[in-house]
Amino acid sequence: MTPNTEILGPARNRVDGPLKVTGRAKYAVEFEVPRCVHAWPVVSNLAKGTITAIDSKAAESAPGVLKVLTHQNAPKPDEAKSKKKEVTRASGIRIEDRNPLSDDQVHYAGQYVALVVAQTLEQARYAASLVRVSYAPEKPTLTMAEAAEQAQEPKKNQEENVQPKKGDVNPALANQSLVRLRETYSTPTETHNPIEMSGTIAAWEGDDKLTVWNATQFVKGVQSLLARTYDLDLENVRVICPFVGGAFGCKGAVWPHELLATMAAKVVGVPVKFHVPRKEMFTATGHRTPTSQTLALAATHDGKLQAMQHVSQTLTSPVGEWTESCGARSTAVMYASPAIRVEEIVYPVNVATPTFMRAPGECPGVYALECALDELSYLLQIDPVELRLTNYADNHPIKDVPFSAKHLKEAYQLGAEKFGWSKRSAQPGSMRDSELLVGWGMATCTYPAHKMAAAAKAILRADGSATVQCATHDLGTGAYTAFTQISSEQLGVPFEKVTFELGKSDYPFGPVAGGSNSTGTVGTAIHEVAGLLHQALAVLATKDPKSPLHNLQPNEIAMVAPGRIGLKNDPLKSDSYADILQRAGKESIAVESKLEEPEENEKMAFQSWGAHFCEVKIDPLLPRVQVTRVVTVIDCGRVVTYKPARSQILGGVVMGIGMALHEETAYDPHTGLPATANLADYHVPTNADIPQIDVHFVGEPDFAFNPIGARGIGEIGITGIAAAVANAVYHATGKRVRDLPITPDKLLS
Amino acid sequence: MTPFTYSRASDPQSAIEGVAANAQAKFLGGGTNLVDLMKMGVETPAQLVDINRLALTQVEELPNNGGVRIGALVRNSDLAEHQLITARYPVLSEALLSGASPQLRNLATTGGNLLQRTRCYYFYDPAFPMCNKRNPGSGCGALEGYNRIHAILGQSEQCIATHPSDMCVAMAALDAVVRVQGPQGERTIPFADFHRLPGATPNIETNLRPNELITAVDLPAMPLATRSHYLKVRDRASYAFALVSVAAILEMDRGTIRSARVALGGVAHKPWRATQAEKKLAGQQPNETTFRAAAEAELAAAKGYKYNSFKIELAKRAIRQALTTVATMA
Ligand SMILES: Cc1cc2nc3c(=O)[nH]c(=O)nc-3n(C[C@H](O)[C@H](O)[C@H](O)COP(=O)(O)OP(=O)(O)OC[C@H]3O[C@@H](n4cnc5c(N)ncnc54)[C@H](O)[C@@H]3O)c2cc1C
Ligand code: SF4
Repeated sequence: MTPNTEILGPARNRVDGPLKVTGRAKYAVEFEVPRCVHAWPVVSNLAKGTITAIDSKAAESAPGVLKVLTHQNAPKPDEAKSKKKEVTRASGIRIEDRNPLSDDQVHYAGQYVALVVAQTLEQARYAASLVRVSYAPEKPTLTMAEAAEQAQEPKKNQEENVQPKKGDVNPALANQSLVRLRETYSTPTETHNPIEMSGTIAAWEGDDKLTVWNATQFVKGVQSLLARTYDLDLENVRVICPFVGGAFGCKGAVWPHELLATMAAKVVGVPVKFHVPRKEMFTATGHRTPTSQTLALAATHDGKLQAMQHVSQTLTSPVGEWTESCGARSTAVMYASPAIRVEEIVYPVNVATPTFMRAPGECPGVYALECALDELSYLLQIDPVELRLTNYADNHPIKDVPFSAKHLKEAYQLGAEKFGWSKRSAQPGSMRDSELLVGWGMATCTYPAHKMAAAAKAILRADGSATVQCATHDLGTGAYTAFTQISSEQLGVPFEKVTFELGKSDYPFGPVAGGSNSTGTVGTAIHEVAGLLHQALAVLATKDPKSPLHNLQPNEIAMVAPGRIGLKNDPLKSDSYADILQRAGKESIAVESKLEEPEENEKMAFQSWGAHFCEVKIDPLLPRVQVTRVVTVIDCGRVVTYKPARSQILGGVVMGIGMALHEETAYDPHTGLPATANLADYHVPTNADIPQIDVHFVGEPDFAFNPIGARGIGEIGITGIAAAVANAVYHATGKRVRDLPITPDKLLS
Repeated sequence: MTPFTYSRASDPQSAIEGVAANAQAKFLGGGTNLVDLMKMGVETPAQLVDINRLALTQVEELPNNGGVRIGALVRNSDLAEHQLITARYPVLSEALLSGASPQLRNLATTGGNLLQRTRCYYFYDPAFPMCNKRNPGSGCGALEGYNRIHAILGQSEQCIATHPSDMCVAMAALDAVVRVQGPQGERTIPFADFHRLPGATPNIETNLRPNELITAVDLPAMPLATRSHYLKVRDRASYAFALVSVAAILEMDRGTIRSARVALGGVAHKPWRATQAEKKLAGQQPNETTFRAAAEAELAAAKGYKYNSFKIELAKRAIRQALTTVATMA
């Protein structure tokens, strides 16, 4: 069959929708595990020091308490000393390296210092309040300024060069005949806050078998990490997670709670559930580091960029290594400039460990870059869209290879048209809606296409139904639906007859649901397993005298229509799946694809693109920013299923509006404790903050990237939108706020 | 949560006796604030006396004088929609509807709203070592801390917390009267005397005596209150506490302001009756100059801190805007 070249796949309803709206979708901590008891943490309320004593007597004698684990009595499982080193690809992710309760040192406020295990949740919570911890406090380092001397320049981050360089930026940046700009943009700590908090139920069977129901973006990673940590055979560790209630990156790595739950279950001898409290979601499962980014640009008077420099300063914790690669993920890919320089400085501070959060690096990086471009457009008096077209990059600016299928120009064009951009009056403060200031802003968005390795198993039945399995994940994104659609197309089985199963370590390997890789990666595995299935059918048919394909070569045969295999060059010679199986007397056949590293194509660069156009209205007297209109156009290759894909973009835009206007984890400047660690004080947008969002897709299926033609969609939507909002705010008010979020106080003066 | 016992009272008298019998007992209204604080470990009552079954759920006209009595257990959502309120005291309805979320308003009671506690981060989370309100004598963590939501009027060095209620701001402007019943019988407390400024004892927030139950809030007859407005400035469009809010009522007499009632929220330890502004408004023409003078007068004594100084300018602007809105009403 010729591949589908339509850009938009069908608008499927979510296959898991009925389960979710009727409450039957079981999330990890909702599994009813017999004899399960509950854990509640005790956390440090100072940012740096040494534990000098822990008095847990009162807690231990409180009703229902089974155990109070502290660094003094906790087991010390240690992955680093594991004998099971053989596992490689599925090695799992740790961002915070230190094992919980491993010693008496406190590195940040909110660090777990004890864990109470009791029969009920309330008993554990109460007993935790009775644990008295004494510390020898030390002066913590909490800010970039305080950490200036410990600055590190990371050479490597996640195997990627994060400080790319091209040409020499200095001559242009020093050239007074060019139009130049140097500004610093800052973003605060942002916290993922999925509705489902992280959590683990750990159940041991003897000493060598472990099952965990775990809210995770990486079941196979958790499996292998726990196997190594406890010196277990891989197949003796099972990880189960059929649904995830949002993650945004905070469930990608293994965090202390997974280790604490498994340690505690070992100690008390019955299953233990540790559902991370909302407050600890701000300190114990990562967050987006605050950033301070300085952009320096130089351009000719007609708008051609001559140099771009992007220096990012970010934080990490003393016990975890994290770099938010802002410049490498934005300035190094976006515009054609003869000179580009990206630098990163990371400061270790006594604040909890950061991690990836939706579009890590791209999100804050594109925010800063696209605000700087907007500022440059005013200096040059060139329309912001025009300026971007002037510097359009057909080739990857650093790698100097063409992009596989870039349709950003169409995105700008369609977005501008749908938005009515041509009616914009360029002068800031010049547009009004009676008393209200009106601002129109735009920004580019971008996200790389990542591919990883995955395998899948397909079972085809004589009744025409099929089941496909992969240890991948649905974070609430619609992955179940997308994979059902891909399976239906690739296998040639009707959508309604396909069941896609995921979220179990028993299934063939699926990589971490991160980097927007899942659709393409798992889709490729489905493509492969479908090919194997068709071959298996071909073998049966060619051996069967009653088949029209009898005695032909299986490798000449492929799917020629849904439900049929036939001769590649004579599709009329074909046979149906049902007939083949029936005649062979088989209820079903099953095949599994091999796990192989994907081929890398160095001759092209693979990247998704898009454009946001945004309108804000602001009361000049009481300047709270209200976003009133958004048009977003995305070029991400093939859109496998339209509805969930559109929802991913909507969600990204909503989250980006939150980044622009609301979100901030604020810390007490003395203790380093988060002050806004709950959903009343940590503001995300409400419905009333969100306008109609008009989403469009452009481009073509990217078959150079993978056989599905899809580059992934989870993260691109959030990139750039904060810049579009900030740029609109400037256009409305003439005031440039370079420090997110843009709350009313920042527009008062 | 500290273990506690629970009982359900059937009438005010038994509720009061139930609470009086245990020094660590508390009334349980909608629980939207109390239970939250119990989970945080801030409130640790040994007993809860549930008052949800008390027959204090009526909104009724007071005999003779045209005022309205609001039972202490009237839910915020019911109160906001009640025809006596929307017709006679629209500012109260607006204030209620600007608060919290529909789900919370469905539970929150009038009495509980009066007694809701500050959202000061340092108070709300016992992980913070310093808070004079939670732990007298421990110091004020907010004073030199992250004090963006804190007070600019009437605060002390011991406490700069704000009262978070919207409902109470409107009630302050409406000269409401709080009716309470205690072991010694019934009494009334004028709204202005109900909540206290922090002074040296921020742990004492109201002039309620031990074991007193709020039974109702009376609103006096105030025909002019139909010309009123509640303006709330917050960080997002909905479901956020006020950075600053204003309840404004203007009594007009042939183009001149005869009298004004103005109260502010989000700025002080209690709903802040803006008497300085009211003085500047009485007898003046309703114009920008008058409103500006009123706002300046009210905020003359304001003091900001590292993160909240913006509230001074914001409060001035909010007063001007609220007064302009009321002045231009038909
Ligand atoms: C996320 C969130 C957002 C919110 N946003 C807002 C907002 O924007 N604006 C706003 O104004 N409010 C807001 N609130 C607060 C809400 O209005 C209060 O929690 C609510 O009004 C409290 O009423 P309740 O009946 O639930 O009180 P409870 O929690 O039951 O009680 C509070 C206190 O009052 C005492 N009490 C209750 N009834 C009586 C009585 N009759 N006599 C004596 N004592 C009594 C209790 O013992 C307790 O000490 C918000 C709350 C939350 C959780
Ligand atoms: S402002 Fe008041 S409530 Fe807040 S920390 Fe200070 S004393 Fe406590």
